[in-house]
Amino acid sequence: MKEKSISLLELRQRNTRKVAALFLAPITILMVVYIFYPIVDTFITSGYQWNGISAAKKFIGLGNWTKLLKDMNFWIAFKNNVVIMILSICIQIPIGLALATFLDFGGKKLTIFKVIWFIPLLMSSVAIGFLFTYALATNGGLVSTISGWFGGGNIDLLGNPKTALLTVILVICWQFTPFYMVYFMAAFTNIPYDVFEAARIDGATRGQYFWKIALPLLVPSMKSAAILSMVGSLKYFDLIYVMTGGGPGTSTELMATYMYKQSFKTFNMGYGSTVAGGMFLLISMVSLITMKLLNGKKED
Amino acid sequence: MKKRMKKLAALSMAVLMAASLAACGSSGGDSSTGETAEGAATENAGGGSGDESKEIVYWNIATESPDKDIVQAAVDKFNAETESGYTVTSIPTQNDTYKEKLVVAMSSGECPDMYSSWSGGPMFEYIDSGFAQPVDDLFNASEIKDKLMEAAIAQGTYNDHIYGIPYLNVSLAGIFYNKEMFDQYGLTEPETLADLENICATLKENGITPFALANGSKWTGSMYFMSLAARYGGLEPFQNAVAGEGKFTDECFIQAGEKIQEWVNAGYFPEGVNSLSEDDGQAKQLMYQETAGMLLCGSWYTGTFASDSEEFYQKIGWFPFPAIEGSDADPLIQIGTVGDQFISFNCTGDKLAAAFECAEDHLSDDVMKVTIEKGKIPPVNGVDAQLTDPITKEIIEAANNAPEIQLWYDQYLPPAVATAHLDGLQEVFGLTKTPQEAQESMQAAMDEYLSTKAE
Repeated sequence: MKEKSISLLELRQRNTRKVAALFLAPITILMVVYIFYPIVDTFITSGYQWNGISAAKKFIGLGNWTKLLKDMNFWIAFKNNVVIMILSICIQIPIGLALATFLDFGGKKLTIFKVIWFIPLLMSSVAIGFLFTYALATNGGLVSTISGWFGGGNIDLLGNPKTALLTVILVICWQFTPFYMVYFMAAFTNIPYDVFEAARIDGATRGQYFWKIALPLLVPSMKSAAILSMVGSLKYFDLIYVMTGGGPGTSTELMATYMYKQSFKTFNMGYGSTVAGGMFLLISMVSLITMKLLNGKKED
Repeated sequence: MKKRMKKLAALSMAVLMAASLAACGSSGGDSSTGETAEGAATENAGGGSGDESKEIVYWNIATESPDKDIVQAAVDKFNAETESGYTVTSIPTQNDTYKEKLVVAMSSGECPDMYSSWSGGPMFEYIDSGFAQPVDDLFNASEIKDKLMEAAIAQGTYNDHIYGIPYLNVSLAGIFYNKEMFDQYGLTEPETLADLENICATLKENGITPFALANGSKWTGSMYFMSLAARYGGLEPFQNAVAGEGKFTDECFIQAGEKIQEWVNAGYFPEGVNSLSEDDGQAKQLMYQETAGMLLCGSWYTGTFASDSEEFYQKIGWFPFPAIEGSDADPLIQIGTVGDQFISFNCTGDKLAAAFECAEDHLSDDVMKVTIEKGKIPPVNGVDAQLTDPITKEIIEAANNAPEIQLWYDQYLPPAVATAHLDGLQEVFGLTKTPQEAQESMQAAMDEYLSTKAE
């Protein structure tokens, strides 16, 4: 050991290395087994025509992929995902920010709102799905009943292809806005109190402080919030599956629900894997482009 | 600081790579074990019996009463009386997740020795993949050959071999109606479609929704479509289309779709029909609230009505779907399942014989007594003599008189075609697709299925 005298720094680095390896090993193994290997296997399966149970798989090369490119249902599903993505970002982030600002300015006396507004996020998606299916039911649902008080007829929100997607998006926003509220509340606490004091001493109103000082400081958080929301809405599944099952027709079909149906309902595991692969590529692409765009702005 | 971070990053990358290499090795191992398991499954299917376990694993959906009582009675009987040396272990799984669980089990080579399914498309898929054995020899030597109704055997048959033993229930599509309501408006059971439409018009005039239907579940609307199509054109167009000799765009399917849209426009279905959920009982609620007069569905509804409210059940009458005037189709043809649950076998040799014995026990007199007690109709000849309930008697009469009974489309068709059918039909109900468009997309799915099968 003493032949090559090593400095304390090197020793320390060597230890760090060991500890790092030790700490990283479990998560790495989990990721490889449950994420990397399945991704690779998905792409391999996408080259086969396979019903999911038979021992006989038939290799058809890119057959599934050309089918995917021509599959209108998949592109309708992608379009629906994009609609959800855009509306989610446009609705959840501003409202989340507004609520966070309100709570931040209000201080301790508003803790009760903090708790109440956070509740939707604590509920499971399936429970929320059932809850809103009943609340939005055409006969005797909340909306129809209120419409009845004002002399209107029953309103069919989920059964009508024109309104179904929008309705589901609103429910998704109801569920996830609290997440962005908490996210921005955390971001607000990262702005040092001195900044606020300095602004006030310089004569800024609360409004000026928010628009001119706090908001620009929150921009990085908003960017990451937007990316989170984007990826989340592109792979969305549970609430839609519970509430509409993709229907009526294909009006609320998403890439993920389509993938599930292809793989498990119609015995088309090969094509289902292709849909999953397509999803993976599209989501990665959209995320990369968005990150490039957002970061590009930062350098300006 | 920065340097250290870089080093850390490099380190973690290295660890990650090393670990992933290791995992590659193990994953390779995984896939190879997967292959051997699959190989074993096919070997089983091929006739080799290397399986020494004396336990027969039996998967079913009998998690709750009454199914649970019936299956348990059969399994207990087998375990108590068998001389084969085998024991059957029943593993019930909840209905909704059952199909997925079975698929996953089969793909990983863990297919149970015997399992029950709804027959039709998925069962054909299991058979084609080598997870079900033909049981013709055992069947021909067994007393259940004469016991079972012919239509029941037909629904367990694929490519002229028997793969499924039916045991649970006979269920036909038919119309339940509120007798009090019919009396009130001077209505009688219809003989023809025109009569039925008159009833609808009368009910509608009196502010009552003629048909209670919750079509969020999609297959519920298919009941109307199947019934109409069978009355317009019989079963031949359907059978031809399935065989690839005809098309789902046949006149009788289009007419059925058009009739449905006519009824939608006339307000014969509840508002928001496509968002009502059958699973949440939103169709039967309309019947209970007496805001709807009729309900076309599988005759398992007798059990539903009876267990929800015995009092309400007394008000209920039943008739099969009426004939259409001017059509050559035999109005005695019925749509439904003759058996409901079909037992398939994934084992060979002695084990298969033992498993088959257990299936026979499902149809033994003791167990059938339980089945009938629980309000089900086992698919056997002469069962009518043991029934007391008047509606159930009517149903079994219709089944006995039927020259043919077609299994539900969504169960019978290849799953991809069934999905196309249900999705398209839901849009027909929502008036967002014409019957022609819906049938074309169904045909497209069928064409694709046939082309992959032909390869």
